[in-house]
Amino acid sequence: MIVKGKRSVGGYRFKNFEGEFGRGITEIPHPDEVIIPLMQGYGNEVPPLVKRDEHVSAGQIIGRDDDTVSTPVHSSINGKVTGFKKIRYTDNDINAVVIKSDGTSDKTAAHKESDWTTLSNEEIEKRLYTSGVTALGRSGIPTRYRSSVIETSDVEHIIIHGIDDGVYRTSTSMLLEDGSMKKLIEGIKILNRIMPKAGIHVTVDKSIMNVATQMDAALQDASWFNLYPMEARYPQGLDEVIIPILLKREYPYGYIPAHIGISTLNVRDIQFIYEAVVQNKPLIECLIALCGPGFENNQWVRVRVGTSLQVIEESVKANKSVRLITGTLLTGVPLTDMSLPVERSWGSIAAIPEETGSGFFSFAAPGFKKDSYTRTFASSFLNFKKTVDTNLHGEERSCIFCGYCEDVCPVGIIPHLIYRNVERGKIEDFLVSYKIFNCIGCNLCTYVCPSKIRVSSYISEGKRKLKDIGFDESTVILPNFKLKGLAAIEVTDKGASK
Amino acid sequence: MKNLGIKYDRLVKIGLLKHFKIITNTIEGIVFGTAEVTRGAPHFVDHIEIKRFMSAAIVALVPSAAAAIYYFGLRAVEMILVSYIAGGIVEVLFALVRKKEIEEGFLVTGLIFPLVLPPSIPLWVVAVGVMFGTIFGKEIFGGTGRNIFNPALVGRLFITIGFPEIMTTAWRVPLTDAITTATPLVVYKSSQTIPDYLSLLIGTTAGSMGETFRIGIILGGLFLMFTRVSNWRIPISYLLSVLLFSWIGSSFLPAKIAPPLFQLLSGGLLFGAMFMATDPVTSPYTKPGKFIFGIMAGFFTVLIRAFSGFTEGVMFSIVLMNGFTPLIDHIVISIKYRPEKYER
Repeated sequence: MIVKGKRSVGGYRFKNFEGEFGRGITEIPHPDEVIIPLMQGYGNEVPPLVKRDEHVSAGQIIGRDDDTVSTPVHSSINGKVTGFKKIRYTDNDINAVVIKSDGTSDKTAAHKESDWTTLSNEEIEKRLYTSGVTALGRSGIPTRYRSSVIETSDVEHIIIHGIDDGVYRTSTSMLLEDGSMKKLIEGIKILNRIMPKAGIHVTVDKSIMNVATQMDAALQDASWFNLYPMEARYPQGLDEVIIPILLKREYPYGYIPAHIGISTLNVRDIQFIYEAVVQNKPLIECLIALCGPGFENNQWVRVRVGTSLQVIEESVKANKSVRLITGTLLTGVPLTDMSLPVERSWGSIAAIPEETGSGFFSFAAPGFKKDSYTRTFASSFLNFKKTVDTNLHGEERSCIFCGYCEDVCPVGIIPHLIYRNVERGKIEDFLVSYKIFNCIGCNLCTYVCPSKIRVSSYISEGKRKLKDIGFDESTVILPNFKLKGLAAIEVTDKGASK
Repeated sequence: MKNLGIKYDRLVKIGLLKHFKIITNTIEGIVFGTAEVTRGAPHFVDHIEIKRFMSAAIVALVPSAAAAIYYFGLRAVEMILVSYIAGGIVEVLFALVRKKEIEEGFLVTGLIFPLVLPPSIPLWVVAVGVMFGTIFGKEIFGGTGRNIFNPALVGRLFITIGFPEIMTTAWRVPLTDAITTATPLVVYKSSQTIPDYLSLLIGTTAGSMGETFRIGIILGGLFLMFTRVSNWRIPISYLLSVLLFSWIGSSFLPAKIAPPLFQLLSGGLLFGAMFMATDPVTSPYTKPGKFIFGIMAGFFTVLIRAFSGFTEGVMFSIVLMNGFTPLIDHIVISIKYRPEKYER
């Protein structure tokens, strides 16, 4: 059923940037060596099941723990375990298994499509779990194997993000790939089979209404299915913003959606659900969108899990100093160590130029290709592809109360008010009344600031310091909600890797 | 372009220039932009910067400034230059003493100030006014972003009270050299006659340099609102409030209170509402606060114009409301974010 999606408060629409990708998927050849992190996507780190010098084959489970909230990890190539090492993406060390290829291909074992409707629920959940797909999504996909903090019966709603509202539109492009529509529809039916009580809600970009009507036609008998054609408006792709809009429920800020019985996924995850259940294929190849002007070609690549980033770096344009980022340009994590491996939950890598110059009298230029929340640049009236780079585009100045941060804030905070208090060291309980804990870290306030103040960093600093005087999510947000699965919360929420 | 940058770098490192790092930094910022990149997320940020923000305000003032030059000749150019130079010196001195960057906000103050002055005012008064306004309206509070009152209005207030005879006799009929003491508001106060609205719109009546060409002010104001540099809430509520209160007032006291449309198109109301009340630093940042600010400023404007010894109420009402701004914001915030009790 097509339902009209309402617009969130605040937000900002990113439109028409250079480095938007084209069609087609390129295979990246098998690497000689892979590094398989024992924690990928949602869940705890799993203990390794293999020893040094042991021979492993592609798709073999090399780490699994059914007692904690986790999902198994697999070897992605045929080869021999040569050792173990610690790797670090952001803050925490993760153990990883190093596997050297024996040069044989696993392509001979082609994955046959089978009729999934004859499978039992138990078999479907087993395939989802053992293929590694349950680690996808903000809070994993619940199965009978403790792959999420909640049970399948706890799930009231499943939200599938079909819109990417950031600078690059990966999901929208995924929907337009050949054959992806069939996989999406079947994947949605599979989810409905294992979680029959849950309503399934799919958002889709208004600009591709034909895709929306096609999807709606295929599922028109399903009373549990809702489709929301919406404008791609950042940060509506974040669970904290979309859940109140679609389901009219309050969101427990600072917690994952699973705690209120909601599972969130994106369209790329559904492709993997289809492949896992119908083709019985383990998630050892990830599908990554290369976006941004720093890449030679902006396209999807199919790459083995554990391949080092060097392989990705090779497709970066020569003579260009770029910053590689996984996730969105506004919230993503910069990748500085090129020896780190690619992991299965990544959906996109962006390469944007490290621009240290901004041109002669750039503040007075008409700005045909400069994006801005204000309408002071010619780009607001003309439709050129806009540039993307890391330059600050101006010097840091004092706050002039322009109010842009308040206008774009999707959760009703006045960011500059919190910034000023935190900056002056006033960490008191009134910050809690100012709803500092509602902040979802979308970073839009920092994006729009004409004074180039890192507003969102001050807000998170304020949250950190409030902890010292006894305020955090568990004292401020938690008492207002009845959350599910909190007992199983030994899992760390990796909010950034959506 | 790179070579020029290197040559410039050398110039900065040797010789006298190194003692004036703040000034050279400012020039560098204007010419070359910033070399800084984002640290962590967000990796990509908006292209708006304060220089652009303030430039947009100056662009919006161009029609008024051009009309001032057309109506009052070279005199207008001299006044603008004096204002920029005198105020600029104060701004740079304060930046040097404080060892802080020169803030761009002055570019707007320096242009607004001469535009709200009578055209025949001596140049030294312009200099005194702009210096007083910059020092006591802004710098003593800690510079841009911390001031309570609009610096241009503080300067004008000072010379209005300090040099009353100059401020009441320095009016001129546009396009002539005839000195007059009668702006349309003064004329109304003494004889209740209203000039035709067209002359008010195109600016052929007496008044401050930049406030008479009202079509240009409206266009500039709309430009600012459209580009989001100024917020529409204050000017719209201010103007509507003046219309409302003068409509109510003139139906009861027609001898004292001028009719709504004349109020709207006379004196500094449009200029003040579009360019001065909208100063984001000195007006409330909360949205309900902006409406309260506009409505109260409109009320005071009508009140002061009708019942005080001064004919012009816009300057006083905006300065008065500037003083109320922190209180308005405080009340709105305490209602919006009611303190709740949390267990620690």
